[in-house]
Amino acid sequence: MATKTTANPFRNRSRAEIVHFVFLTLALFVFWVVLSGKMQVRYLIIGFVTALAITVATRPLLILPPERTGSSWLSLWDLPWFRIFLYVPWLLWQIIVANVQVAMLILHPKLPIDPKVVKFKKYIPHPVGRFALANSITLTPGTITVDLEADEYTVHCVQGGFVGGVAPAEGEGTLPARVGAVFGAGPAPADRQTSDKGL
Amino acid sequence: MNFLAVLFLLAGFFFILVGTVGVLRMPDFFTRMHAVGKCDTLGILLCLVGLMIYEGASLTSLKLLYIWVFLLMASPTATHVFCRAAVRSGLKPWTRTEGQG
Repeated sequence: MATKTTANPFRNRSRAEIVHFVFLTLALFVFWVVLSGKMQVRYLIIGFVTALAITVATRPLLILPPERTGSSWLSLWDLPWFRIFLYVPWLLWQIIVANVQVAMLILHPKLPIDPKVVKFKKYIPHPVGRFALANSITLTPGTITVDLEADEYTVHCVQGGFVGGVAPAEGEGTLPARVGAVFGAGPAPADRQTSDKGL
Repeated sequence: MNFLAVLFLLAGFFFILVGTVGVLRMPDFFTRMHAVGKCDTLGILLCLVGLMIYEGASLTSLKLLYIWVFLLMASPTATHVFCRAAVRSGLKPWTRTEGQG
């Protein structure tokens, strides 16, 4: 595992540590400033020290060893931010469409639901990618992620017609394909542990 | 501007109402989670957008935005955890069979 080098730029541990440190401290500090709303130096210093302390304290939780990610040391903040930024508006639109459809189902006098459980597989190396896919499925038309284990997603659909966006009869659903593109998914490595429970 | 804020709030109220109706009408736990997990999420998000428009560009709006982002991540996660717990404890999803509905 450690001998394959080129494909993943986030391979080594020190990089993950640095990215994690800078991003989390900054994010927590901005969070503090917005919540406190005070700009005096005194409060800013208190905020910065607090942010730093939290970053240090949560370090073991948010930096993942290769055993967990299947590829390399990874900070949870090491994300393709720009592509996520492009993905979110699309997702929001999907959420609105989903809600209108579910609302029509609910308000329909006959309640035309026909629940179904489907399973599909999708390998995404980054744990946050798996989280994003599972949550996106839950937020979009008539589908809820029930279970996620070793790259296999179990999805509950409220009506057969909603299956198409997630796991159509053939090919790949739009949602897994989109999230996969955002988080740089590829074919699962052969040595991947199937007992990995994701995050 | 206030008109827009009211519009968003009303849309939010509508979806929360639909979510509640869904909980009452749906036949089993999983289908109820569909109603709650989706309609309530969008309802609350729309309400927050309405409040943000009403408030204008201020620190309060930024705080509302934080709540917004948090909800967007927390709500589907909670829905998922409920469903997973239900499946693991052996609850079978309701399916449409002849003579029902």
